[in-house]
Formats: sequence, C-alpha cells, structure tokens
Amino acid sequence: MAMTPSAQVDGARRRSLTRRLWADLTRTKRRWTWGLLALVLPLMLPVSVLAQTDGASPPKAAEPQRDISVDLTDLNRIDLGKLQFGSTCAAYCHGSEGRGGRAPAFLGRSDFDPHNAYRVIRDGRRGAGGVMPPFGQAFSETQIWELVAYLQHLALQPAKP
Amino acid sequence: MTLSAPTTQSALRWFVPSDTGTHSPRDRVRGLWGCVACLVWALVVAVLAGLHPVPAWGAVGPSDDDPANWPQYHRTYNAWRFSPLNQINKSNVSKLKVAWIHQPGVLTHGLQATPIVIDGVMYTIAPDNQVFALDAATGKVIWRYAPKLDPIVKEVFYQSASRGVTVGRGKVFIGSLDGRFIALDQKTGKPLWSTQLSNLKESFGALFSSPPQLAGDVLFGGTTGGDQPIVGKIYAVNADTGARIWTFEIPKDDPKSWPGDSRKRGGGSAWLPGTYDPSTDTIYIGTSNAAPDFNRDDRLGDNLYTATLLALEPKTGRIKWHRQEVPNDTWDFDAAYEALLVPDAKGKTRMVHLNKNGFVYVMDKDNGDMVDVWQFTENMNWAKGVDRKTGQPIEPNYPETSKQKLHCPNLLGARSWNHGAYNPKTRLWYSHGMEVCNTVTSAKQGPLVAVSQLSLGLSEITLVDPPGKKADGWLGAFDPITGRQAWKVRFDLPPLSSVLATAGGLVFTGDMRGQLYAFDADNGKQLWQFNAGSGARGGPISYAVDGRQYIAFPTGLGSHAPGFLTGLFSEIRDLPGGAALIVFEVDR
Repeated sequence: MAMTPSAQVDGARRRSLTRRLWADLTRTKRRWTWGLLALVLPLMLPVSVLAQTDGASPPKAAEPQRDISVDLTDLNRIDLGKLQFGSTCAAYCHGSEGRGGRAPAFLGRSDFDPHNAYRVIRDGRRGAGGVMPPFGQAFSETQIWELVAYLQHLALQPAKP
Repeated sequence: MTLSAPTTQSALRWFVPSDTGTHSPRDRVRGLWGCVACLVWALVVAVLAGLHPVPAWGAVGPSDDDPANWPQYHRTYNAWRFSPLNQINKSNVSKLKVAWIHQPGVLTHGLQATPIVIDGVMYTIAPDNQVFALDAATGKVIWRYAPKLDPIVKEVFYQSASRGVTVGRGKVFIGSLDGRFIALDQKTGKPLWSTQLSNLKESFGALFSSPPQLAGDVLFGGTTGGDQPIVGKIYAVNADTGARIWTFEIPKDDPKSWPGDSRKRGGGSAWLPGTYDPSTDTIYIGTSNAAPDFNRDDRLGDNLYTATLLALEPKTGRIKWHRQEVPNDTWDFDAAYEALLVPDAKGKTRMVHLNKNGFVYVMDKDNGDMVDVWQFTENMNWAKGVDRKTGQPIEPNYPETSKQKLHCPNLLGARSWNHGAYNPKTRLWYSHGMEVCNTVTSAKQGPLVAVSQLSLGLSEITLVDPPGKKADGWLGAFDPITGRQAWKVRFDLPPLSSVLATAGGLVFTGDMRGQLYAFDADNGKQLWQFNAGSGARGGPISYAVDGRQYIAFPTGLGSHAPGFLTGLFSEIRDLPGGAALIVFEVDR
C-alpha cells in the first residue's frame, strides 16, 4: 500500500482540495449561526446529542470552539497524523485509512467537523456498539490536530465501496 | 422462584448421562460401575418412559455433576461446553420459541458472558460489571449488583466488557474492570469482600475482562495486558477471605528470554478464564502474545512465558509444566484459548489447544509433551508449519522493522476467543474459524504515556483477503485429536459467538448479524434459525428447571473485534449494538 499519500497529491489537486476545504469551513460557519439559535432552546441540543449515544457521556456542546493551532492542509502535518494514526488508531479499531471501526468511515466523509474530531480524540466516546477511550493524555494538542489534519485529508478523498 | 434440583420425575423426561472427559484411574473404575448402573437405569427409563434413545457413549464424570446445571464457564473443567440434556433435539428444535428475555439496560460492547445456572438460578454479567441473579425459568430478577467503579475505567482501552461470573462456596465472584476480585453473597448479591490486585494507573489499564476461576478455595485469574508495556500477572486469592496467596509474573525473570529491560514492557497476560482439573489438582491457563506485538528488535529471546500454555499448582502458583507454542511471538499469536481435555481413540485423555497462529496442539495433559499438531486454518503463511514432534515453528517469517509483510492468520487469530464445544457422542469438536489475513509494517514502539495506549510496534496494519480468495468465516466439526474434518459451514462474516453442543445432537451458535442457529451435530445441516436483532458474541448455554430444558443466548454485538473486521467487511459498520439475553424452550 502507499506509504506517502501526500506525495501523490499533485499541485492542482492540492489547490482544489484547499478550495473545497475553505468552502466546507464557510458552510461550517453558516451552521454555527443555526447552532447559536439552537442554544436559545437549551433542552433541544442535549436531547439530540443523547439520542446518538447511550447517554453515558455528557454532552459537550456548550464548550467554546478551540482555535485550530496547526494548518490542517499542511502536507507535513497530514503525514505526521498518518503515522500516528497507523501506529495507534488503526490496529484493533479504525483499520487502515479508517476503513474499520464502528464509527462512520473517514474516507469521503462529507460532514467532517475538525472541532468535533478533536473533541472525540481527546475525550473518547461511548456508543451502543463500542467505546473509544480518551486520548487527551496520550497526545499533545499539536499531535491531536495532526491526527485531525489526516482525518480531514481522508474525508476529502473519494469514498471507497 | 424455583430452587429445586431435578426430581426423579424430571429425570424420567429424558435420559441424561453425566458427561465429562478426564478421569483419574480410580475415576475410570468408578466410571465402569457407573456405566453398568446407568445402562440398567437407562433401560428401565426407556421402558417406562418410552422416549428417547439412549446415548451410546461410556464416559461418566463426577457424580456431583447435575445435568440440569451449567455450573462453570465451560460447564465442565474439560472445556467441553456440552450439555447432556436432550429434551430439545433434532426432531423438535425447529419448534424453539422464546421463553423470556432479559435486558440489562446497558449496551456498551454488548453481552459477552457465558451465563452460569445452578439449581434454577442464572447468574450473569452485563456491561460495566453489572451482575444479575435471575429466575432461570422466568427471567425475573432476584438481585442485581452494580459496583462503584474507579473513574479510571473510562480511560481504558478494553473497557466495559466482561465474560462472566464464577459461582461456588456460596458466593458469586467477578473480576472487575477496575482491577479487583469481588465476592458477592450468592443468595443476596451483597458484597462480601473486594481485593484490589491490578493498579490500572501503573499498568496501562490492565483489568479483569474474564471471571476468575476456582481451584478448591483458591480463586485465580489474569488481566488484559498482552498489548500493554507491562509485566502481565496471574493473581490468586483465598476465595473465602480475598486474602492474596500468590502472584505469577508471566514474563520470566531471565535475561536470556528477555534481553536488556525488555521484560518490563513484555506484556504477557492471561486474559481468558483458566480451567481447574480436580483429578490432578492442576490449573491450566494460557497466556497472551508478547509486547510490542509486532516488533521484536528489543526482545530477541524466546520471551517465556508469553504465548504459552501453563499447568500450575493451585496452592503455590508453581509451574508443573509449560508449553510455549510461539517462541518470540511477533504476530499477536496468543495461547490464551480454552484447554480442551478429550479422550483419544484408546481412551487416553489428551490436551487439545488451539493457538491464534492457526495450529491445534495435541499434548500429554500431564507433562505437555507433544502428541501431534494439526493445521486448523485454511490460510497460514507465518511459518512453513509446526514440527509434530517438537511443537516448534518451522522457518517462521518474522515481521521486520519498516518492511510491509503479509501474514495469515491476522491479528485476531485463526479464531477469536469465542470458544468451541465438544460432543462426546459424535467425538467431534465444533469451533468457528476465520480466513482473514493482514499486512503489517513493523515499527519501533515509541514511549507510551496514557492508560488508553497500546504497545503494538507497527506503523501500518491492514486486513486483507487471503491470496486469491475472499475472506470469510466458518463453523467446523473436527476430530480434535487428528484434525479430520467431518463437516464445515461457511459464513460470509466470521462468526464471533462461542459454540454450544448438546446431547440432543445439536450445535448452537450465532453470527454478527444476530442470526442464531442450530445445526445437526452429525452433518452440519441447519435445523433452526432465529433473528435476535443484534450480533452474538457471548456463550450460549443449556440448562433445565423442573424438567424443562432451555437454551440461553447472550446477544448484542460488542468487543473490538467486529469494529476491526469492518476494515474488510464494511457491512459490520452498520450492524447495531444491543444487549439481550434470549432464552428458548419447546412445548412439551
């Protein structure tokens, strides 16, 4: 299998990826506006979050967004994230390129949210089928953002059947 | 609630020979007389009741073994998972119907336990160490115990799941997710004692995922930890007081086995329940792979006692004998699976032991000497083979740092830990297997700091099809001594349920989609199917209350194995979790 996916991303493709990424981020900002409206109805959000888990984890919706401290499109960061993912997250859990796991596949994921990904890596998540332990003690903030950069890179790849 | 032992009346409903396989010579003599007596009794029963044919095998086991019960993890110490009940049989299994369902209300990682049934009461465990005593005829909750667990359990990789409880000496014992053995009062569920054994903070979350087992008044068991940078241990305490008796450190204190300080991070654990053979006063317990799993650069030695089947003295923890199946393991090939004791063609009891590496080791049960070895999995390339005389791997193909290599079987093994079952009438061993390989790029393991981290020693791992084939799973029926295959049923997703064999000539199991099955023990013909709605990962059992036989299936898909298999079988991603213990019966 390819060990350096970033090397395969040529210049044009990289520019197009960057454009798509910016478009995604703009869409995310639009969603935040709606999210603020939702916060006005304080009961709704926790209920919607609980509906997706078995209720064991407290909702994290109220936490302010953390500044993204690395450039998520930096190919070096993506590579570092890929290395970390391969040695830590792939075996037993997410599989190569995140094709395993009980979480949605990372490849071609249209609703990828870097802030949410950061929180899940840091705090873990419990669902009905399984559980992901927190890795906030395992990785530095920068290392977690590098993982997020790799996951976002995967999200921008075409989905595989 | 009914607590009565089966009455003569209930015994008349079906013929129930005592089972078991291994005996001391004295037992065998007693067994002969018992056999004559049971044949006479069987004739009387057959004439009076005119019911089922008399099963024709001669093995007779401990006289105190009540066929209505499922008193320990594998039902009997020989790890047969065989129920001698035959009210449910080939002729009526298609009419199985649900008797009751127990839902614990906690789902994380599903139900992985094998329930225990003694005198009409079922004892079982749900996610997060929630223990239940249930009326085995109705499912009514008699008591429930939910321990207050140290919050560190939420940071641990192998969290939430438990494989069962152990019942004896008026107590129910569990190994807890926060590193304790706990004893509860069998009647009330009230805690009697609790002994902290594993410190999760210092051991990268090494916890008890399996129930500790009894060897007389000695309660023993090991933790998770094969994939952690620790010295894995087996603990023993006094079952009545919880006082510690001995601790066995699995990585041997020997620089030839473990160069430098590699032993301190060598992993090694005994994460499945061992068994206790009272006829020889021996504990059999298998150990895990060595760590880092896929990189051996810093541990170039045999890495004893990882990937080893141990025979221990219960009072002292001293080794009676050991057999290391995978010296210097670098493929994640644990030797932790069940130690099956079965008679060979001459009636001599043999130890039969499946390793994750795809081979079954047939041994002398009293000293571990090799009798034979046979290949269990269809796809195997990690070695040229295993020497039948020495049991040593032939030309093993070790992972090498920074090189990508293809290995079969994959890191989940030729089979996951879901146990097989043995029927003494067919003399066949029924076990699942999976034909899945992986590519691995070995890498030096960096330092680890958090309890959630594993010591895997790799930079890449990918599940792949076996060369030229499509990955799948199967249920196989084998002569356990020779490996001769009687039949095999293929499954497109590798099943992760343990197997149950019954004297009704049936083999029960379930798949990841939640389909439960009964097969004809003689030929593998499917006789019954039921959709449970979520996958099977636990241990189905059979028992009887007031003369009525039941089949109990823990359902609800969990454990890390399904998630990892998603990498090759994308359908698994959308399979639902759950937790429901479903109990079946037939109309009389």
